[in-house]
Amino acid sequence: MIGNFLLYIDPGSGSYLIQVIIAAVLGAAFFFKNLWWKFRSFFIKPKKKPSEKNDPNIP
Amino acid sequence: MIQTSPDDPIWSGYSRDPSGFMFKLNDQYYRQVNQLYAGDYDLLLSSGLYHELSGKNMLVSHEDVSGSVPGTPGYYRTLLPRQLPFISYPYEWSPSQLRDAGLLTLRITRMAMEKGMILKDATPFNVQFVEGRPLFIDTLSFKAYDGAGPWIAYRQFCECFLFPLYLHHYLGTGTHRLLGAWPEGIPAIQAARMLPGRSRLNAGAWMHLFLQTKIRTDKLPGGRRPAFSAVHLQRLLTHLESILQKLSTDNFSDKGWSGYYEDTILSQAYLAGKERCFLELIDQLPMASALDLGANDGYFTRLMAHKKVRIMAVDADWQCMETLYRSLPGLPSRDILPLCLDIADPTPPGGFAGTERKSFTARAKADLVMALALIHHLTLSRNIPLPALAAYFAQLADQYLIIEFVPLTDEKAQALIRNKDSYHSDYNIENFESSFSGYFRIERKMQIEQTGRILYRMRKTTQS
Repeated sequence: MIGNFLLYIDPGSGSYLIQVIIAAVLGAAFFFKNLWWKFRSFFIKPKKKPSEKNDPNIP
Repeated sequence: MIQTSPDDPIWSGYSRDPSGFMFKLNDQYYRQVNQLYAGDYDLLLSSGLYHELSGKNMLVSHEDVSGSVPGTPGYYRTLLPRQLPFISYPYEWSPSQLRDAGLLTLRITRMAMEKGMILKDATPFNVQFVEGRPLFIDTLSFKAYDGAGPWIAYRQFCECFLFPLYLHHYLGTGTHRLLGAWPEGIPAIQAARMLPGRSRLNAGAWMHLFLQTKIRTDKLPGGRRPAFSAVHLQRLLTHLESILQKLSTDNFSDKGWSGYYEDTILSQAYLAGKERCFLELIDQLPMASALDLGANDGYFTRLMAHKKVRIMAVDADWQCMETLYRSLPGLPSRDILPLCLDIADPTPPGGFAGTERKSFTARAKADLVMALALIHHLTLSRNIPLPALAAYFAQLADQYLIIEFVPLTDEKAQALIRNKDSYHSDYNIENFESSFSGYFRIERKMQIEQTGRILYRMRKTTQS
């Protein structure tokens, strides 16, 4: 029967591996996102948005 | 030794959690903490977590009454928690209520980790709504956390909060009926079968839902387990939190009753007239609680929000209850509890042996019961005879009933019987009044201007 194996996992062990995998994926995503921002800021100097330049409300 | 109340089997000292149980004594609910839980209970207090959470109104506060109320053998402490006026269940909540309960659970887990503890279970039954806000009520759900393991309640959290909310996000079904069918959570495999194909493209759904259907845990490496830490867990919790915040809790494409009052032109004059009558009928009425049956989007519930009355608003249409729940922050009183349930089929008792959770009827007592524009639906559409309705409303009302009679000649009543061969043809004002007179005395009746509808205020004459 499909899914029968799920009946025999205790709540802890059943999700151990999944949590390890998700944490790794999220960690990798975080790492590459950081890397991308570092890479981007190295080549592209942060520009002021036109609205910020012209907005008389911003001192 | 604890004397439990024999007429209240739910609180007879039975609990699934070996850490302790609830019991009722002299009309107060107590919580016994068992010896088994002593270490974790002491840590909850000594770490400052209890004070932080209860101070922020996230966890129910309690008083330690061990000195005056000793427990059964093996007991460690007796607690007198803040008494809650009404207990509701996840299968009576609108999607936003479930989401807010889930967010509270995650936030508490993160705060607990900072104090070296974690939640050992993550079921929405641990959350109640008090004055429009979720409150965690299980003081015994906390356990010490070594900062290295994963979250033991992760799968339960997914099955009870995340999967119903994903299903709602993609299908717009509401969540209460799903949790009625699976009160202990929807298994990943079942949720995966119901979700549309495009949900597989969603990274969050793929990781937290579809992955669980792919990984066979019997392939787990024996002995050494892959490394895991608190940092990983924090990341996981933050991810769950951001998913819950992004998931849609509305879907108003399938229009239920939520536009009833706004939609019909007839309503404008009718509504204004009904509001005047209603305000006159409730003026100076002494009451502490009210139950609005068939509340729609809570128009009349909200009219009472300036009174110091605790209100339960009930409607079978979850969209109406969702609208009402979202409107609470802007009201003068937030002491309004929206509940998605059908009066023709109210929540039955639940849990093991049918004694763990009470039926709606057993919980819902109120000084005032309101049934506005409701009984024609129950009698003409749902075929519930007037005497049966009168008996049921008398069971729910402690003192007063404000009820609207919609005559058979009314446009809306006609619409209900247009295609019906058989209905209760004795549905008329004489039978209505005589049926309700068996339990109530009619105090006032007011015809709503420009309609044949009549608003009654009745006072209960029988004891329940």
